[in-house]
Amino acid sequence: MRKKYVRVGVILLGLLFLVSLMVPGALAKTKIRVLCFAQGFAWPELFGTSGVEETERLKQFEEKEGIDVQIEWGDETAVRQKVAADLAAGTGRYDLVLVGSDGGVQTYGYGGFLEPLDDYFKRYPSEYFDPEDVYPQFLDANRVEGVLYALPYYSFGAGIIYRKDIFDKYGLTPPRTTDELYQVLEALKSGLEGEGITDVYPLTMRGAPGEEPSLDLTGFVYAWAGYPAWFEGGAITPKEIKEKKAMPIFTGDFAPGFQAFVEMCQKFGPPGISTHTWVDMMNIYAMGKAVILMPSAINGYAALGITENENVKKYTRFAKIPTGPGGKQIQSFWTFSLGINKDSRYKKEAWKVLTFLMGKESMQAFAERTQWPNVTMKSVLYSDVLIKKYGIEEIKLNEESILEADPFYFPYIPELNEYMDRIGTAASEAIAKTKTIKDVLSGLQTWAMETMLRGGYYK
Amino acid sequence: MRWQYKFLIPSLVILLSIVAFPTFFLFYISLHQWVLFKRGMPFTGIENFYLILTSSDFLQSLKVSLIYTLSSTVLTFVLGLGLALILNEELKGRNVIRTIIALPLVIPPVVAGFAWKFVLNREVGIIGAYLLPKIGFMKSLLADPSLALGSVIVADIWSKTSLMFLILLAGLQAVSPDLYEAARIDGASSPQIFSYITLPLIKPAIIIALIIRFIDAFNVFDTIFVMTSGGPGTATQTFPLLGWKIGFLYFNLGQAAALAIVMLFMTIGVSILLIRRIM
Amino acid sequence: MQVKSHKKLKKFTLYLIISIYLVFVLFPLLWLIQSSFKSMYQALKIPPDFIWTPTFEAYKKALGGGMLRAFLNSAVVSLSNVFLVLLLGITAGYALANLKTRASQNIGFWILSVRMAPAFGIIVPLYIILRSFRLVDTILAVMVAHLTINLPLAIWLLKGYFEEIPSELAEAAVVDGATRGQILLYILIPVALPMIVAVAALVFLLSWNEFLFAFILTSEQARTVPVLVASLAGTMRFDWPLMCALSTLALIPAFVLVVYLQRYIVRGLTFGAVK
Repeated sequence: MRKKYVRVGVILLGLLFLVSLMVPGALAKTKIRVLCFAQGFAWPELFGTSGVEETERLKQFEEKEGIDVQIEWGDETAVRQKVAADLAAGTGRYDLVLVGSDGGVQTYGYGGFLEPLDDYFKRYPSEYFDPEDVYPQFLDANRVEGVLYALPYYSFGAGIIYRKDIFDKYGLTPPRTTDELYQVLEALKSGLEGEGITDVYPLTMRGAPGEEPSLDLTGFVYAWAGYPAWFEGGAITPKEIKEKKAMPIFTGDFAPGFQAFVEMCQKFGPPGISTHTWVDMMNIYAMGKAVILMPSAINGYAALGITENENVKKYTRFAKIPTGPGGKQIQSFWTFSLGINKDSRYKKEAWKVLTFLMGKESMQAFAERTQWPNVTMKSVLYSDVLIKKYGIEEIKLNEESILEADPFYFPYIPELNEYMDRIGTAASEAIAKTKTIKDVLSGLQTWAMETMLRGGYYK
Repeated sequence: MRWQYKFLIPSLVILLSIVAFPTFFLFYISLHQWVLFKRGMPFTGIENFYLILTSSDFLQSLKVSLIYTLSSTVLTFVLGLGLALILNEELKGRNVIRTIIALPLVIPPVVAGFAWKFVLNREVGIIGAYLLPKIGFMKSLLADPSLALGSVIVADIWSKTSLMFLILLAGLQAVSPDLYEAARIDGASSPQIFSYITLPLIKPAIIIALIIRFIDAFNVFDTIFVMTSGGPGTATQTFPLLGWKIGFLYFNLGQAAALAIVMLFMTIGVSILLIRRIM
Repeated sequence: MQVKSHKKLKKFTLYLIISIYLVFVLFPLLWLIQSSFKSMYQALKIPPDFIWTPTFEAYKKALGGGMLRAFLNSAVVSLSNVFLVLLLGITAGYALANLKTRASQNIGFWILSVRMAPAFGIIVPLYIILRSFRLVDTILAVMVAHLTINLPLAIWLLKGYFEEIPSELAEAAVVDGATRGQILLYILIPVALPMIVAVAALVFLLSWNEFLFAFILTSEQARTVPVLVASLAGTMRFDWPLMCALSTLALIPAFVLVVYLQRYIVRGLTFGAVK
């Protein structure tokens, strides 16, 4: 009889214990939850290198604004999962969410999950963020049909990172057109082979399946065709596509740039290139195993930051990206942005946190810590720390690249995620020679036609 | 009420609410169009199933999943059985060896995947970039489509043989050594002993091992994702990877649900087959 | 004479096979551990340095990342899972083993089949359910999710085991006037102990290693070890030594565990298969 009570008691205690784990602490301040990736890399001056610290600066902000900032990290792909699950449940758990300009902004923007931000500048002007200081291209990249949905943190445009010492050795200068680029690559290849060097490659790019290569690859498409050659007439919004009934042209003008990218990877890149992510690309350059890194120059700057190879440190230079046969420069453009969840219950506070995180102070701290010139604001680009590191010439070159960039070199449609993923995978397969370029492109074309038809674009 | 039912109720409640309910919800979702960036969730019947089953992605993943699951199950089984047979004997240092063999069990598949990725990497891995090129093998284990699947299978074997080994060892240890004695006295050879005595007696253990292994191999996600993300191209894109992509990358939850249900039926089908054939 | 050398040859080949496999098992782990003591550049160098000056940079970073909390969470989740699964599984397994209706013959399998739905399928429904109970990012949520993985398996295994126990044991006790609960507690559990312990070990392992559910359902508070490792080993983290250090730290308790677990699993399943 007593044993029975003991058992019941144990079970009750157990349940009590379990329940106690459920109860979160009480809060006095408004809690704003942020979800993004790059733990320890993004805002370490606020969250520490571990990403979970409460630094003095963060506490200052929290005290001043009466907001408790809860930041949550994850892997890039994993964060997407969490956001998707949360959006599916429709409960606005995260006030600020990470959206990249290569699918996130488009998907969530069109899906109506993000809060339009233009008004907020007028209604709640922020002391932290001056939109005039930001290069317009970086803000535009976060606009869907003209409406601003997110603010950028660090961002990059296209460029070439190269080894001046090796260029000098073979008497080369940075190419300004893609024809010149081919010449340079050929010269490097024969030069290196001639000397029997087998572990240094002329080029390092990224060809991993999925959306990894797509930013760069579609930049090639843009340069070869002279316009975003995805749909007839270069339509890049759903409205345009519907109005003009613009069909996909993956086997048309899209093809030359695609082919160029694939062939360049095959001929001049390392053997494993069809699985290389930006991390591999960066590591290879950092180890001194590549002469040119392009077109996402930011990864070259990242490599510069981690390398212990003296030559890489001394002789790395930046050059503007060459122009393709279509008369346009190769693009590669992306912003790390945060947007406000439309279901957030504390939008005003979220806006404060957003502008703080994306503001001048954060941008400056970013520049000082990483010493990369991939910042969104003019005042930060021209700050002492960067000028000292790269010299005014290279800073000017970087600025020119930004001003000449066109963030809309691919369509801004809600299905962008799936397109980027399939295009990238197609490229990866083509590079690995699992399928021919012709096959993957016709596969893409068929898929795109079906998808657009089913999506009701051509009614 | 009969006591059996009284004992069953708590488990049944939990099972129904936590396990069965999501599965029913899954069926429900699969019959609707649910794409996160599109408004509304209209009923579409079997359209999701039709679309997924006729897509080329499905065929490719079917191929990859089949090869992966079969190879991994068979190889871990053979390896596990072999190791179990060997370690069933009286060997020196048996316990230490068994402990080491069991080590991969407690290593999360994510860590295992990462470890193998690091080691096989063509540019910086000790095996992929140093040892193999030294003997003239220049291809990339993770980037070459014909080799990537094999590499991923190796990582899985590394991770999961331990469990097979332990289950089969348990089965073997249950067989009384007297039986072996008697057979040997009667003049039976080792292979004969194995086929006619050992094998039949460890059948239950074999079934448990194979079913657990099969379900697990069919559903593997972490390891492959960390190592190749389904690549190069779609060379290592098994069903779970495809399902994850459709649901969380393309945000097409309806179609992902349909794929999940197709997978569910496949798993049930194979398990039934396994039990029938072996018993 | 010939018999002896034949035996020796056999022993030698057996040891050879074992050694090869041991190298296979240990190699990635040892490489992981040694890389954790290198700087990023050193870790990536080819040909690699086999002798170098070790650095603890990676560990300093790793230990600041919430590792301790993750271990605590993992331990709590796994242990409470074991407790719950055993509580529910033993009772259900015993009940089913004694339900001599025609339906109950295959019920073990059908319970197991509930577990066969792939994770990516039930994750969203599960998330929605847990979200509506405001349970996200609590250890409870992860425990609930792990129940879906472990309970069916446990019931299947335990039911099979209970069926093998001769009914005379229970019958005698019934005659003596014992309740079913007492029979279970005092007679059957001691007899079934090896199998129970084996199931406990398996459940613990599955819970400890589980990633997908733990990831989706947790944020900062309730993260388990695999989630932590994966979050810091993501695409943005190109810090190989850090990832190696994290993995190594995750290995330490794992190593301690495995020494005990492997013995219990074998012993338990052994007695389970007898009969």
